[in-house]
Parts: sequence; structure tokens; C-alpha cells
Amino acid sequence: MSIRSVIASIGPPLLFGVVFLAVWELIVAVFDIAPFTLPAPSAIWSAFTERFGQVVDETIVTGINALIGFLSGIVLGVLASLLTVRFRWIESLLTPLAVAVNAIPIVVIVPILNNMLFGTTSQVPRQLMVTLIVFFVVFVNVSRGLRQVSATHLELMRSYAATPSEILLKVRVPNAVGYLFTAMRIAAPLAVITAFVAEYFGGVQSGLATGVRNSLNGSKDVTWAYVIGASALGLTFYLVSSGLERLHGGSKNSG
Amino acid sequence: MSDSPDVHAVEIRGASMVFNDGGKGRVAALDDVDLAVRAAEFVSLIGPSGCGKSTLLRLIANLLEPTAGDVRVNGKPAEQARLDQDYGMAFQKSGLFEWRTVAKNIELPLELKGWDKRRRAERAQEMLELVKLPDRGEHRPWELSGGQQQRIAIARALASHPPLLLMDEPFGALDEMTREHMQSELLQICAATNTTVVFVTHSIPEAVYLSDRVVVMSAGPGRITDTIDVDLGRNRDDDTREEDHFYQKITEVREALRGLEVSAGARGIEDR
Amino acid sequence: MSAGASKRGGLAGRAVKRAALLLAALGLAAVAWEVYKAIGPEQGGDILGWRIIPKTNDRVMPHVWEMLAEFGDPAIGSGDQLVWQVLLGYAWYTLRMALAGFAFGAAIGIVLAVLMTRLRIVERGLLPYLVISQTIPLIALAPQVTVIRGSLDLPQWTSAAALAAFLSFFPITVSTLRGLKAAPAESLELMNSYAAGWWTTLFKLRFPSALPHMIPGLKLAATASVIGVIVTEITLGGLRGVGFATIDYSQKVTSQPASVYAAVFAAAALGLIMFGLVVASEALLMRHRPREAT
Repeated sequence: MSIRSVIASIGPPLLFGVVFLAVWELIVAVFDIAPFTLPAPSAIWSAFTERFGQVVDETIVTGINALIGFLSGIVLGVLASLLTVRFRWIESLLTPLAVAVNAIPIVVIVPILNNMLFGTTSQVPRQLMVTLIVFFVVFVNVSRGLRQVSATHLELMRSYAATPSEILLKVRVPNAVGYLFTAMRIAAPLAVITAFVAEYFGGVQSGLATGVRNSLNGSKDVTWAYVIGASALGLTFYLVSSGLERLHGGSKNSG
Repeated sequence: MSDSPDVHAVEIRGASMVFNDGGKGRVAALDDVDLAVRAAEFVSLIGPSGCGKSTLLRLIANLLEPTAGDVRVNGKPAEQARLDQDYGMAFQKSGLFEWRTVAKNIELPLELKGWDKRRRAERAQEMLELVKLPDRGEHRPWELSGGQQQRIAIARALASHPPLLLMDEPFGALDEMTREHMQSELLQICAATNTTVVFVTHSIPEAVYLSDRVVVMSAGPGRITDTIDVDLGRNRDDDTREEDHFYQKITEVREALRGLEVSAGARGIEDR
Repeated sequence: MSAGASKRGGLAGRAVKRAALLLAALGLAAVAWEVYKAIGPEQGGDILGWRIIPKTNDRVMPHVWEMLAEFGDPAIGSGDQLVWQVLLGYAWYTLRMALAGFAFGAAIGIVLAVLMTRLRIVERGLLPYLVISQTIPLIALAPQVTVIRGSLDLPQWTSAAALAAFLSFFPITVSTLRGLKAAPAESLELMNSYAAGWWTTLFKLRFPSALPHMIPGLKLAATASVIGVIVTEITLGGLRGVGFATIDYSQKVTSQPASVYAAVFAAAALGLIMFGLVVASEALLMRHRPREAT
């Protein structure tokens, strides 16, 4: 990678970012906007650096919840998809649930689930909710990957008199791996947001959402400091899974 | 528009085209090419992959600027000719807009020229009749066969009655029989409209059947190595494909492509 | 054309089939719900010491028929209106804000996509931030937006519309950008050969060929805009929409446990309605195009 190409890809975003922050800072100063209404970038930065330790701690809490839920959701989603190959009816059962979970906003699902699972003493309910959301994304994509195999490949395997398990292993699974990576890319930011929303609606007083909630009535710069943490977390999840997807060889289908 | 007999329809002098000069992927697509095409002439460009024939066509169309040399179309610099819309172009993919009806596809260049609605519609219908698809105007491109789509593409290319037609392997995606049929159609259309044609192709029989002259090119770097006159006369039809003279010309072109010299006497070929 | 008539018949047939499948699926979901309710523990249960099995008592998990019956029950605190009437009013309110948000989001998204197509430096400089913007939890953004709205003295619904626009602009931007760039190379050459300017090419070539690519983005944006409005209602209060209903009814959960679920159904239905609007527009706008093999 030559210096020129590095500058070409980093330069514009850097430029835009700097200009944006400068304009923001200027607007707050010129219009004398109160910190309660809109904090200046400089105020946010100092709030962030002051509370850096706290933000990091809370980010880790939320991050762990998101990660546990993310991984569990993947494992369960893949298992369910594999079962669907053998037992077709599982898919007919889970697909409507997937549609429902997709149609209902997370902010509505979370309070309801909170009622159904109490747990003011542990992080588990939050992890469960993340698991649920991730599960459906993974299930929908991976089962499609296992199912939508090229007809030519299936004909070929039949001509080899391959057993269903051989077909599964040699054709369906490799085909589905790409779909798994796509699902991970979609589910990663969702996992973080779900963890965040789950924290927001009560339970243990930890996590980024708690930090945000507790600072809402005061100066917004603290709120934004936590938002930076949440954003960084979401971005990290997204970049890692996006990177994994690209390593594997690009996206198959944006589902 | 110039009607002086001394002005060529296309005149290329010393044209060179180098891509990525100074970089790692430097490609000399064309090297010092001269070409002159007379009005109403049908000239084919043929050669192996990488010989620069499509590049040469795009120089004429002013879709590329040569790194050296001069390209004149209709007595003007190529850019002016493009701005004045002095040519029509047809590609291998018919490139019809799937969201427009067939007639509206033909009207596209006329819209861009600012013609009014009625005049456009009349001309579109005229072109449909020229390509023998008079009642397909309201159909959608995907409802037509490949050959029919190419005919519409040709109709579009000729819609504004340009003096020059540039074609880049327009029949490449068609099956052999449709291809031969389209070749005959094209000759009839060009005879009726008296259009000059520069035609890029991979197919030797196609080049011979259609052209007054076949320009043979070689690769690495792209150059014109030979020009073969095809004197099969103006009234060519399916019978022409079975004449001895036709086969002889095909052999001539093939051997020129192989780099052998055509010796006039030894083969008893009329060489002009 | 007789082919057109059979096409139309096929379209209606497919829609009926899909609706039937959806109903069957919902029926299955209802069965699964009741089965779990019958066999599950009333106060929740443990696996390996973790309390992760949901409770199944009637307060937290009403029967499916109770949920459906709820629609016909009188709504507490709303005079003598029935639940479904109240919810309909709420749903209409939310829908209007969602439509406004969607429209703003679409306008912003399309303008950004055009800008990024025209100037590559804008694409390179702006796109990373657009991606990052979507990692900001909406719940955290809502109070900030509302405070700004208050100081600008704009009506309350603009917060909801703004947040809906925030969620919906991104998928539209991405899909429109991809679509504008997906114009076939020969067609671009063709327009170039006609000496057509950039803006002419944009309207005559890029936009029409981008439309099929924009549709999935518009579908995502439709459901996202509903979510944006509901989040605003839930976190900010003051807006009488479906989101508000879920909060309101969850507070009355001791007396009318099923009403929360009624509100949830309404929220889900709203998302599906917005989605359906886009699907209907797709059918209209793409009616002359060749059917894609999905």
C-alpha cells in the first residue's frame, strides 16, 4: 500500500471529520448554546477524558453482554439451522417467530421480556435478549445458506450416490459459511444495540445505557461521552465481523 | 456536414494510445495507426484480442483521447463530431433501457437533441420500419429476442440519420443463424441510408461478407498490418456466402491474420 | 395483451399465497406460545442456577385468546372506547410521524447518494461517518434531539420524525449509491457518445437503473422509520402513539395484562403496513420491468 493510497483513503474522512467538529464547535460558541441543549465537542472531549476509566468499565460490561449474547446466538442459530436440514418443520415453526421478532421494535420486546425474566441481580437477562435477536438473524441466513444450494451441485452429488449427510457436509455447509459471515456482520451492531437497550430498561445498574440514563437530566456532554463508548463498541463489533467476512471472501447476500 | 468528395468520413493519422504511461501497467493499445474511410464505405476492423480494434473505434467515437496523433470525423476533430452527434454507435450488449418502451429507446438520442414529441415519434416509427419491426414500438426490450434487440439498437444508432455508424461486435452474442440474418439486414439498411460504417468483429466470414475493406490488426502493440479489399459487389445476399470468391477472400483475411503474405499470382486471386 | 392479464392474475395469486402462509405461520406461533405456557414454570425456572426460563403465569404470559379478546375490551381510562379503537387512533398517529420521517430520510438519503456519486471525495470522506452514525443507540440520541427541538420551538412530532429519518436515511443512502453506480458501462458510454451532461445522464440513465437496487433499502427504511418513532414515544413521552400505548398498558398490567400485547401487535402491524406500502409502490413503479428471478 503506497503512501498515496493511504492518504487517499484516510485523507477525506479526516478532512470531513475535522471540518465537521470545527463547525460544531463554532456554532455552539457563536450562538452561545447551553451545555444542556447541545454540548460543544471540546466539552464532550473533556467529559470523556475525565471519566475515561468509568466509560471504559461500562463499555466492557455492555461489551461482554453483547459478546456473550452474540456468540450464544450464533451457536444456537447454527444448531437450529442444521436441525432444519433434517427436520423441515422446525423452519416452518421458527420463521414466523423470526418475522415477528423482526417486525417488533427491540425497544418493545425488551420491556416485555424483562417482565418475563426477572433478574435485577444479574446480567443474564440482557445476554438472553441479545442471544434471542442474534439467534434469529443467524438462523434466517444460515438456514437459507444450507437450503439454497445450486441445483447443479445437488445433481452432481446425486450422481455420486451421496448420502444426505455427505451432501450436508460437502455442499451445504461450505455454501452456508458465507451466509454465516453475512449474518454475523448484520448481527454484530444489533447485538450491541440490543445490549444497550436491555440495560436502558432497568436491572443491574451497570453498563453504558445506565451511564447515559443517569446523565440525561444534566449536562449532555457526559451523555455523549458514554455515547462515544457505545459507538466505539458497535463499530468494533461491526469492523471485526466485516473483516472476518472479507477474509472469507466477500458477502454472498445482504439478507 | 461536408459533401466534398475529398474529405474522408473518418481520417486517422499517427494515432497512438498508451494506457498507464509511466506506471506499472503500461499498455500500448495502439501504435502509430493511420486509417482513412471514405463516405458510404463499409470497413471492418479485425484482429486477435488486444490488437486495439475496440480502442480504435472508441478513438473515432471520441470516447477516448489518443495519446498522440489526430482523429478527424466528418472533416472535424473527433470531439466536435461527438458534440455535433455525427455518428451513431452500437455495442455487443444492445444496451436498451429496460424501463423504456422500444419506441422510447429509439427516441433517446432525439430527446437529447431537443426534438419535439411528434417529430421524435415519427422518426422512431420510421426507424422501426427500416429494421422491419414496425409494430413493436410499445413493447418492452425484454419481450424481444436477442436479434430483435440488436435491430432496435441499430435503429437507435441511426435514429438521427448520422452519416457514420460505429459498431463494436454487435452480433457477437447472437447464434450463427441469427447472425447471418442480421448481417444481411444490416447491409440492406446501410444501402438504404447510405451510411458509412466502421465495424469491429472477431469473425472472418462476417468481416468479409459485410465490408468493402477489411482492416487487419495485430496485437502488442496494436497496429494495422494489412488492408484487404473485398470486391464482392454491392448486392450481396445469402448466395454470396457460397461463392468461391467469398471463400478466397476469407482465406486471404485468415492468412493475413496469421502474418503470411498474400502472393497474388500463385493463387490466382484477383488482387486489387 | 393477454400476457399482461395472466401476469396480473399471477401477481394476485402470489400475494394470496403469501398472506395464507403468513397466517399459517402466526397460527403456528400461537400454538407454540400456548404449548410453552402449558408446560413452562409459573414463576420462571433455572438452568444450572441461571434463571433463564421465562415465567408463564397469566399476568406475564396471557393466553393467546386473551390477547385477541383484549382488542374488544373497553380501554381503561379512555372513556367507553374499546381497545382496538384506541389503538387504531394511536397507530394512525404513529404512522403519520413514520411517513414524515421516511420522507425526510428518503430525501436526505437520495441527495447524499447523488452527492457521493458526483464527487468521489465526498463518498470517501462521508461514508465512514454515515456508517458510524448508525452505531449510536437511538435511545441515547432521542433526548439530545428533543432538547434541540425544544430550543428551536418546533412541534413535538418533529423529534419523532427526525429520529425516524435518522434511522431510515442510511439504508436508502447505501442502496441508492450502489444503484447509481450500477448503471451498465455500455449505457454510460452510450450517453457519453450522445455528449449528454452528467445531470442528464443522472436523470435519464442512473436513476431509472438504480430503482431496483433502491427497493431493498426503502423496505429496510420503512420498518426503521416505524422503530424510530416508537423509540421516541417510549423514551420521551408526550406523543400519543403506539409506543406510548405499550408503556401505558404495561403500567396497567395488573388489571389488563393482555393489553400490552395488544399494543405490541399494533406496533408490529404498523411496521408491516409501512413495509407493505413500499411493496405496493414497488409493484407500481416496476410493473413494466422484467421480473427478476429471486
